Amino acid sequence: MSMATARTAGVPRMTGWLGAVTSTDHKRMGVTLGVCSLFFFLLGGVFALLMRTQLAQSNMHFVSDNSYNELFTMHGSTMIYLFVTPMAIAMAVYLVPLQIGATRLSAPRLCLAGLWTWLCGGLVMQQGWFASGGAGRTGWSSYAPLSNGTNTPGVGQDLWVIGVILAAAGMLVMAACVVATIARRRAPGMSLLRMPVFTWTELVSMLMVVGAFPMLVLVMILLYIDRHGGHIFTGFAGAIDYQDLFWFFGHPVVYVMFFPYLGAAAEAVAVNSHKRWFGYIAFVISIMVFAALSMAVWSHHMYVTGGVTNQYFAFTSTALLVPAGIEYFDVVGTLIGGSIVLRTSMLFALAFFLQFLIGGLSGIFVASPVLDYQAYGTYIIVAHFHYTLFAGSIFGFFAGVYHWFPKITGALLRERLGKLQLLLMLVGTNLTFFPMFFLGNDGMPRRVSRYPTHPGWGTLNELETIGAGIIALGVLTFLFNVFVSLRRRVPAGDDPWLGHTLEWATTSPPPPLNFEAPLPPIRSYAPLLDLRHEQIDRARQRAELTAS
Amino acid sequence: MRGGAIPILSWGTILLVLAVGNWVWNDRTVSGLAASGAVAIIYLFGLAVWLARRDAIRRGPPEARAEPESVPQASLAAVGIGLSVGCALFGLAWAKFLLDFGIALFIVSVGRLALEIRAERASRAAVLEESERP
Repeated sequence: MSMATARTAGVPRMTGWLGAVTSTDHKRMGVTLGVCSLFFFLLGGVFALLMRTQLAQSNMHFVSDNSYNELFTMHGSTMIYLFVTPMAIAMAVYLVPLQIGATRLSAPRLCLAGLWTWLCGGLVMQQGWFASGGAGRTGWSSYAPLSNGTNTPGVGQDLWVIGVILAAAGMLVMAACVVATIARRRAPGMSLLRMPVFTWTELVSMLMVVGAFPMLVLVMILLYIDRHGGHIFTGFAGAIDYQDLFWFFGHPVVYVMFFPYLGAAAEAVAVNSHKRWFGYIAFVISIMVFAALSMAVWSHHMYVTGGVTNQYFAFTSTALLVPAGIEYFDVVGTLIGGSIVLRTSMLFALAFFLQFLIGGLSGIFVASPVLDYQAYGTYIIVAHFHYTLFAGSIFGFFAGVYHWFPKITGALLRERLGKLQLLLMLVGTNLTFFPMFFLGNDGMPRRVSRYPTHPGWGTLNELETIGAGIIALGVLTFLFNVFVSLRRRVPAGDDPWLGHTLEWATTSPPPPLNFEAPLPPIRSYAPLLDLRHEQIDRARQRAELTAS
Repeated sequence: MRGGAIPILSWGTILLVLAVGNWVWNDRTVSGLAASGAVAIIYLFGLAVWLARRDAIRRGPPEARAEPESVPQASLAAVGIGLSVGCALFGLAWAKFLLDFGIALFIVSVGRLALEIRAERASRAAVLEESERP
């Protein structure tokens, strides 16, 4: 396909910073979205540190009860709506067109409008801190009737609702652009079953966004109307309806925050094992089923309400085990017989699979209504979802960062600093979240700003606070690594890891229309690996001919 | 382009099976409606991709396309639309003038978008004309 760059006749050409922020190049948009998400990650991390400081010992008065409510609400909201989910979309916007050999994103203007809508949402949500009465304070799920105008008055909560609407609408638009790109812009030869593993994980994630996020926009609009005298979520039925509608978005988003990082970790494992991803077709089928099932489990968050049919949701929640098991089987299959190189990206990927396993296994327990009745509202749930969301997503994210940073910037990250970061984050994560299982088992409730003196609770909480500090050190190490690596650049070259997929067939960083040289023939989901094998075979044949 | 609608429609079908299970097993209307709504959205999306190009449900790898394509480099209009929506909604809770400003910015941005699209079409037509010249 030949390209004609639009000479913007009648429209002035934009250069400099204006050109950068208005660019419709998917790589620019991906980097902008990623950098903004990372800023929100740091902000959400500061909120977490403040919360952990408050909980370090029993009966602390570091922040007020109201401020604590704001902190845990804004921590969860910032991490979910403004970091992990948009970062998954940022990776899709940057990498998916490269991986499928496309020169650009479909509907780039729509994507850019979505990016700015999302950013406005983030800023509006954080604006709540400056409102009288403070920021949103009813948790990231903002259950009605707690979040209605009578129980939680104030502009801060309104700003939270509006911020969520904007952020969700922006992400929805960007996700639709990614799906359209995969549907319409694959390179010649790139059939669906030749798409890379990461692209498949992004495709199902973006489909989940398209299917589930309209519900979030709808429920937040209804909540806004309810807060301003609409009386929509009233009585017991209203409360249950709110939860039903919210969790219809709220559970799929957990997987939107998991699949892309699973894909990133899978790419890192395959490339660093110098092997094809094992069981590709089984993986593709399992990820489709996994994604669909994860849109049919949402009411397991509501077992204790007595307002839902537990049997159906217990069945679908437990069924998630099957596709999850296939993915772990594929990882092990890829590692067996591989020529493994333990680079930082590989170590983060392995840590991702191991850490997520703890979250997944604890998920089996809480998928059972009988056990969930015991665990509900305790720190067991906090431990479970932090092992899935933090340990799962973040370790996969860093695997992706160490894997693709050279492609994005043209410079290598420092391996030693990367390994130090991994060590700090591994120790910090387990020190912070593992004791929560014991605290929860001992009955410590979640969402409390202070707890009474109780044997063992003080020590475990102190350990968790130390762990949170160690995670913060790990993140600072990463930022230092990025700073040093960009300041004193070690050129990466086009393909430093002997990659398998098409993004490694272009320059680092890629040119405006992605590929200047013709694409290699695409005969499988690892075209560069095919090419390398063909070259080796040809060289061997030549050597044999010469010898004979 | 070939096959682009297949994963969307296939995934919609898996969702449909689960939504039917929900209707049968679960007695809550809101729950069934939510699941059915998602199925409808995914099917509509798949249908839109299919209608955009008829080969979207044909199997096999995409083929090379020869016609030139215009690529927008930047869009102030898109940024304006994003900002205007944010501004207008922010104005709902914070200050009325932001709502008015947001609406005005939205109208200006849509106007600018029309200019951008016109310029893009003109440049594509010019390239086509140039390529057809002997």
